[in-house]
Amino acid sequence: MNEKELQVAEKIKGMLVENLRIPEEELDYEIALFGDGIGLDSVDSLEIISCIDSEFGVAMTGVAKEHFFNITSLTKYVIEHME
Amino acid sequence: MGKQLNTRCVVTGLGMVNAIGANVEECWENALAGKSGIDHVKSVNADNCYANLGAEIDFDLPENKEVDRVSVLCLKASEEAFNDSGIDGNIEDATRFGVIMGSCVGGVVSIEEYIKNGEKTEDINKMTISPIANNVATKFGAKGVITNVGNACAAGAISVAYACELIRAGVADAFIVGGADAFASVPFSGFHALHALSENPCSPFNHSNGITLGEGAGAMIVESYEHAMKRGAKIYCDVLAAGISSDAHHITAPRPDGIGQMYAINRAIDMSGLKKSDIGYVNAHGTGTAKNDEAEFLSLHTIFDNAGGELAVSSVKAMVGHCLGAAGAIEAVYSIKALTEGKVPPTIGYSDEDLEVLKEKAGDIDFMPNTAKEKDLKAVMSNNFAFGGSNASVIFAREAGDVKETENDSEVYITGLGIVSPLGNGVENYIGKISEGAKVEGNSAKCEVGKEDFDKFDIKMAFFRKLDKFSLIQVVSGLEALKDAGIVLEEGKEEDYGMIIGTGDGPLTTVYEFEDHIAKEGNENGSAFNFPNTVYNAAGGYLSIKTGLRGYNVTVTNGSQSGLQSVAYAYHEIKQNRAQGMLATGTDENSAVMEKLYTQLGLVAAGNAKLYGETGMTLSDGSVSVALENAESAAKHGAKKYARVAGYGMTHEGVKYGTVKGSEAGLKSAAEKALAMAGISADEVDAIYGLGNGCKDVDDIEISVNKELFGGKKPVINVREFVGEARSAAATLSVAHAALTLSGELPAKQKAFFFENGVEEKEVDTAGFKNILVVAVGAGGSYSAVVLKKA
Repeated sequence: MNEKELQVAEKIKGMLVENLRIPEEELDYEIALFGDGIGLDSVDSLEIISCIDSEFGVAMTGVAKEHFFNITSLTKYVIEHME
Repeated sequence: MGKQLNTRCVVTGLGMVNAIGANVEECWENALAGKSGIDHVKSVNADNCYANLGAEIDFDLPENKEVDRVSVLCLKASEEAFNDSGIDGNIEDATRFGVIMGSCVGGVVSIEEYIKNGEKTEDINKMTISPIANNVATKFGAKGVITNVGNACAAGAISVAYACELIRAGVADAFIVGGADAFASVPFSGFHALHALSENPCSPFNHSNGITLGEGAGAMIVESYEHAMKRGAKIYCDVLAAGISSDAHHITAPRPDGIGQMYAINRAIDMSGLKKSDIGYVNAHGTGTAKNDEAEFLSLHTIFDNAGGELAVSSVKAMVGHCLGAAGAIEAVYSIKALTEGKVPPTIGYSDEDLEVLKEKAGDIDFMPNTAKEKDLKAVMSNNFAFGGSNASVIFAREAGDVKETENDSEVYITGLGIVSPLGNGVENYIGKISEGAKVEGNSAKCEVGKEDFDKFDIKMAFFRKLDKFSLIQVVSGLEALKDAGIVLEEGKEEDYGMIIGTGDGPLTTVYEFEDHIAKEGNENGSAFNFPNTVYNAAGGYLSIKTGLRGYNVTVTNGSQSGLQSVAYAYHEIKQNRAQGMLATGTDENSAVMEKLYTQLGLVAAGNAKLYGETGMTLSDGSVSVALENAESAAKHGAKKYARVAGYGMTHEGVKYGTVKGSEAGLKSAAEKALAMAGISADEVDAIYGLGNGCKDVDDIEISVNKELFGGKKPVINVREFVGEARSAAATLSVAHAALTLSGELPAKQKAFFFENGVEEKEVDTAGFKNILVVAVGAGGSYSAVVLKKA
């Protein structure tokens, strides 16, 4: 990741720790957020969408599942769609 | 199964207020006419929200600045029911006249006021659910069992069920029951965050694309047939039976297979003595969310298809919105009107195309699209399902049925304990700490749960991270009590075990923080993650999910005494054969928010608190759970018997909510009732596990009643000496501590207070104790007392 990507990824990670109470030590940029990884559910995805909207101004409602796969994919999507 | 409970429970008064009416007649006529109360919301800012509809009350309500809007609504409906019943002046014994109210969000409007209008002290005592039933009881002179049910959207229905149970048990003659909730930002923003609000007026079983919130209150006078006849009351109908269960599945979504709902519905039918075909109308929960409507559609078809009847089903939420904790009460009143008037209200919102679709999917059920119908009804059912997986079904009938409820003569034992306290977690730790004389220091103490607890009870990260502290500590203490008791759920017997959660302040910290956040960031930015934890029964919901307990599951909330009321309630469920075993708990949390509020109220000591010393309290917290089982269940797994629960009393002596001064008679009456039920005299009591907390008004009441009942000669042991004023947790800990004393687990020599000559402290030998009276108080003058005997 370049510096900008790292910055965004760290912010997303911080948001997951703070707002979804995921223990920081369980998280890295690659671990799957849903399913067998961290085990997030549909309510969590609503929270992620809301946080990314207010933090980066990027709307992710209705966006395909694969962009929510892990912190890296979220970061990629956010950077591509930031103004 | 013991003796048949033949007492008939009848409804003799009705009251209602919602968006389409200021009284029962208006609400009823407008519902029959299919008039919608749904419009653009005015009391909540929905400018940046994707949905902006609500069913708000837009006419003037009685002015009352002393109480939250939820109590204004509740008092209005209660007054109508009270007047309608003609019960005023006809109550022989006010200690047998109670109030049980359901609510989901309680005084949340006052939290908003507090945050937005300069943090006024007067708003603090209006914030929770607790004041609601207190306000009603005080106004109408009820001095019996007073409590609130905090089971979110099923709360109103459960209040009817519990009142009938208490009447059948012979501990009460009459109740004002019901439920209330006011339109507020927290639920609006929360359901918005969950994308559960519909953009159009909700049309349950039709469009199923979300709910429309409403507000209001429903109230009923429920009394024994004998009591009603004696005073020549007009009788609307009988309450035949109810079924209550827990999904043990998900904190917000119902089980897709509907088995929790079906258990509640089938139990109500079985207990009513009716055939399925006798039920002509079901007032459905029918919220309009896809998940609710699908599960409920499945449950109704599974149970009623091919039952030989002609069933009509409708949801008045299409007209009055989803009134949350009031829903069960409002819909019970609508159900009773349908039964007695022989008319069924419709579900509105069907277009011509919708009607075509309905023809395809309705099957044998008439979903009552758009227009009311006349229908001769023998019996009706009102169903409500809630967050936390809570299910409730109540049956009303025009005639007395062959009710199957029974009561057994089995003993009820305490077989397991779970303790989370500022002294640490676990029963063994507690015994150790008490043995070495440990106690909390300072004026504020907090318990903690963490990795050690999660590992011990196999609580995975995906589960625990969802929970706020209130729910976490309850789950940990509940799991310990269950494990300590050795209860193993057999397949097919999951409904035989349940829980009564007691809490005074519930998840107030989470609700406050949710409101604080949206006050700053706007209603469009509520947290979907935190919203499920704002309901009072979230803790009980999570505990049922984690344990698989699918039986009776109710959260009672009426101040700090809730943690003792839960024991009385749970005992009663086992005696009446609704459960083999129950967890009874007390949970309240301390936090920065709670410190701020209690300090502003002037209740917290400046330094170290001293019990009976006029210092103010050490604000504290914790969660304590006790497992209760009947003899058969305890024997099955060779459970240890810490103590036996022998009797209870629950009373109220109404004073202004938030105060206790002048309510001595309530404590005296609760203690006397508990002793009478246990069949012992005051002389036979070996010790009282007391309620004093360092606040003068509370301590004075205990001292004066102790002198009156016991001449001040009996030792008073008080757990707040060790853990501080942990509110509901302290009330349940008193039971746990008493059980550990009777079973000899704690050191025999314990420090006790005596009140004969001022306040004296002496060491007493507890080794010979056989009978312990445990007492607790709730702000507003509610009391519970429980007698424990050596097992």
